[in-house]
Amino acid sequence: MNHLPEVWGRPRNDVYGAYDHSYLQGSHPMQHTQQPIVTGTSVIALKFNGGVVIAADNLASYGSLARFTDVERLKQVGTHTVVGAGGDISDMQHLYEKLLDSLIIKEEYQNDGHSLRASHIYRYLSRVLYHRRCKFDPLWNTILVAGWDDGKPFLASADLLGTTFSSPALATGFGAHLAVPLLRRVCPDENAVKSLTKEKAIETIEECMKVLFYRDARSLNKYSMAVITGEGVEQVPLSGEGKEKVHVEWKKDITLENQSWKFAEGIRGYGAQTV
Amino acid sequence: MTSIGTGYDLSNSVFSPDGRNFQVEYATKAVENGGTAIGIRCKDGVVLAVEKLIGSKLLVPGSNKRIAMVDRHVGLACSGLIPDARHFTSRARSEAASWRKFYHTPIPVSSLADRMGGYAQAYTLYSSVRPFGVTAIIAGMDEEGGPGLWMVEPSGVGWGYFGAATGRGRQAAKAELEKLPLPNITVKEAVKHAARIIYFAHDDNSKDKDFELEMTWVRHEKLATAESGEGIVKGWGKHEEVPKELVAEAEKLAKESMVEGGDDEEMEVEE
Amino acid sequence: MFRNNYDNDSVTFSPQGRIFQVEYALEAIKQGSVAVGLVSKTHAVLVALKRNAEELGSYQKKIIGIDTHLGVALAGLAPDARVLSNFMRQQSMSSRLLYNRPVPVARVVNAIADKAQVNTQHYGRRPYGVGLLVAGVDETGPHLWEFQPSGMVLEYRGASIGARSQSARTYLERTYEEFAESSREELVLHGLKALRDSLAQDKELTIANTSVAVVGVGGEKFRLYDGDEVGEWLEKLGNVQSSRGGRGAEEEEEAQAAPEETMDTTE
Repeated sequence: MNHLPEVWGRPRNDVYGAYDHSYLQGSHPMQHTQQPIVTGTSVIALKFNGGVVIAADNLASYGSLARFTDVERLKQVGTHTVVGAGGDISDMQHLYEKLLDSLIIKEEYQNDGHSLRASHIYRYLSRVLYHRRCKFDPLWNTILVAGWDDGKPFLASADLLGTTFSSPALATGFGAHLAVPLLRRVCPDENAVKSLTKEKAIETIEECMKVLFYRDARSLNKYSMAVITGEGVEQVPLSGEGKEKVHVEWKKDITLENQSWKFAEGIRGYGAQTV
Repeated sequence: MTSIGTGYDLSNSVFSPDGRNFQVEYATKAVENGGTAIGIRCKDGVVLAVEKLIGSKLLVPGSNKRIAMVDRHVGLACSGLIPDARHFTSRARSEAASWRKFYHTPIPVSSLADRMGGYAQAYTLYSSVRPFGVTAIIAGMDEEGGPGLWMVEPSGVGWGYFGAATGRGRQAAKAELEKLPLPNITVKEAVKHAARIIYFAHDDNSKDKDFELEMTWVRHEKLATAESGEGIVKGWGKHEEVPKELVAEAEKLAKESMVEGGDDEEMEVEE
Repeated sequence: MFRNNYDNDSVTFSPQGRIFQVEYALEAIKQGSVAVGLVSKTHAVLVALKRNAEELGSYQKKIIGIDTHLGVALAGLAPDARVLSNFMRQQSMSSRLLYNRPVPVARVVNAIADKAQVNTQHYGRRPYGVGLLVAGVDETGPHLWEFQPSGMVLEYRGASIGARSQSARTYLERTYEEFAESSREELVLHGLKALRDSLAQDKELTIANTSVAVVGVGGEKFRLYDGDEVGEWLEKLGNVQSSRGGRGAEEEEEAQAAPEETMDTTE
C-alpha cells in the first residue's frame, strides 16, 4: 500500500485516474499552444446519394512559404471512415498517428465483430478536441469526418474549440467561405442529397478545389480525394450477418486542370499598378 | 508426484537448497493441465493452433477465442490459466503500443518476446506476487527477421523456435512437429499439419473431452494472396484468423488421418 | 473441504498447479441462491431466486441493470457485485460519452475479467466472491456471459450459477437447442423452468422471491420485473413447486443465510 502524501484522502486510481505529479513542482511552466506553425489549408467534403466525397490539397505551409508539397492530409480510419484535417500539421500528425492509429488497433484487438465507424470516430475526436481546449492547450485543427454509418452517408466537422456541427456540404478554413456556397448550390440541404449523383458531387468538388487555388494564397494545385460509397443495410440484422459493404476509393496526386487565370488581368490596385 | 518442497515451496522467490523456485515449477504444472497450443514457423509466415477444450455444450461455438492479436503483426496463444493469459496479452499489447510511440515503428517479434520474457521473470522475484500460470507462444512477422516464433514460460525463459508446443498434448505434438521439414514449408501446408497435430495430440491426451480447433496465421500484408518464392519472406506481417474454408478442409484431412490409425508410431505419454 | 499449506493467499500455487484461494472464492458463489441466464436470436433473459434473511425482511436484489442494453444477475457476495456493477456502469457511460455507442457486451465483460484477475495475482488482495451472468444486446445480437472470480469469462447460450444450480444446468443442457428460435415468452418460461428445478425441497416460486429481466434486439430496453409484474409469468408457468422430494442426491442444506454473510467451510 502506498502511504505517501500524494495518496492521502485520494479516491481510487482506476476510477479517478492516476495522480498528476506535474502539480507537485512549484514553478512548472504551463504549456499553452499559442499559434500554429506548419499549417494545412482547407478540407472540403460533400454528401451524395450513396456516399460522401472529401478532398484536401497536399500542401503544408510555413507561414507564407509553401514548404512541403507532398503531405497527405486525408486519412482512412478503419473501413468506414476518412478524416481530413486543416490547421497545424504537427497536431494533425499527433491525431492521426498517436491517437487514431492506436484507437483502431485497440478496436481490432477485441475481435468481436464490432468496429468503429464514422460517428464513433467523430465523437471521439470531438471529445479529445474539446478536452484539450479546456486545458488551454488545443490541437490547432479543424477536422472533417466523412464516412458511411448506419446505412447513410456521414459528414461532420469539429474544431480546435470543440465546436461540432454537421451538414451535407462542409469545408474548413478558406473553403468555408469560398467552397461551401458552391457546394450548397448543388446540395442545399439534407433532402437534396438523394438526388445528387456521385459524378456530379466529384465534379463539384473538383471545381471547388480549382476556385480555392485561384483565391487561397496558401493552397496548392495538387490534391487528394477520397470517395466513400456504401451499400447500406440500414439495420444490421440480428446475427450480425450481412453487414454493410463500404468501399473507399482513393485518388492521389490529382493536378488541377483547365485553369483560367484570365481574371488576373482585371485586378487593379496591387503593388505599383495604379490604374 | 514431484517432491513437495518441505517449506521452500510456500512462497514465491524463495530458493530451495538445491536452487529451485518451487512456485515457478508449480506454475508450470498449471500449464501442463491446459489445452494444447502449437506454433509452426514457415518460409512465408507463422501458423498458430489451439485445442480449445469445451467444458459444456452450452458454450457458444466459435466464441471465447484463445488466440489474441498484439499490434497488427503478432499473434499470441497461451496454455494454462486463461485469466493469466489475458493479463499477459494485455501487457504484450502495452509493450507493442509503447514501442510504436517511442520508435515510430511496430515492435520486432524478437523484441516483444524479449520484453515478455522479462515481464514473466519479474513475477518470479517477489513473494508478494505469484508467477504466471501460462506458457505463451508468440508468433509474428517483421521487416528484419521475417517470420518469428517464440515461446515464453512461467519462469521467464524464452527461446525462438521453428516448431513449438505446450499444454497437455505437448509431447505428442513435439514428436510430430519434429518430423516436419521446418522452416521449408508454406503457411498453407502448415495449416493442414497444424490441424492434424492438434487432433493427434487431443486424441492422445483428452480423448474423452470435446474440443474446438482455433487457428490463426501471420503472413506478409501485401503478399497475402501471392505464392511465395524460394527464400524467407521478409516484411511486416498481418495476423488473421485462417479462413473458415481452409480450416474446414484441414480438419477434414485431420479426421481422416486419425481414422487411418494416426501417423506412424503411436506416442504413449504418461504424466 | 480442503485445508492445506497452500491455501493461505492468492499468490501461492499448490504442487498440482492450483490456486486454492481462487477455488474457495468459487465456493462463495455456491452459497448464493440460484440465477439463470439464456439467449435466443432476439432476446437475452435473466431469472433469479431471491432470498430473505428473515420472514419480515426484504429480499436480496439479484439482478442489476447496467445500461439500457445490459444487465447482470449475481450469486455470492452481493457487495462485491455492487462494486463490479458500478464499474461496469462507468465503462458503459464512458463508451457512450467517448464513442457515442452502447458498449459492446464482450468489452465490458473483458474489463471486469481483467479487473478480477489482478486480485488473483497480488498479495494482500482477495479474489471477488461473486459470480455474474451478464446478459445484453449489442450490434452483433444478444449475448450471455458468465463471469467468475478467477477472471474467467465465457460466452454461453444458457448458464446457471448458485446453490443447486446443477439442476438448472441439466435442464438447460437438455433444452438449449430450442432457445435460438424461442419467442420472448418461451425463453422466459424456459428460464423459470430451469430455476424451478433448482428449488429446495418444499419451496416454490412466488412473486416475492422471483426476479426476471429481459432485453431484446431492435432497441428493446433492459427491463427488470419484480413483485406483481412477475405474477403474469408465474401464472403462465403453472406449476411453481419444487420437484425435489425426500432426500435428493445432493446434500445441500437449506441455506437461509443471506449471500453476504461469511462463507461456512462445512466439513
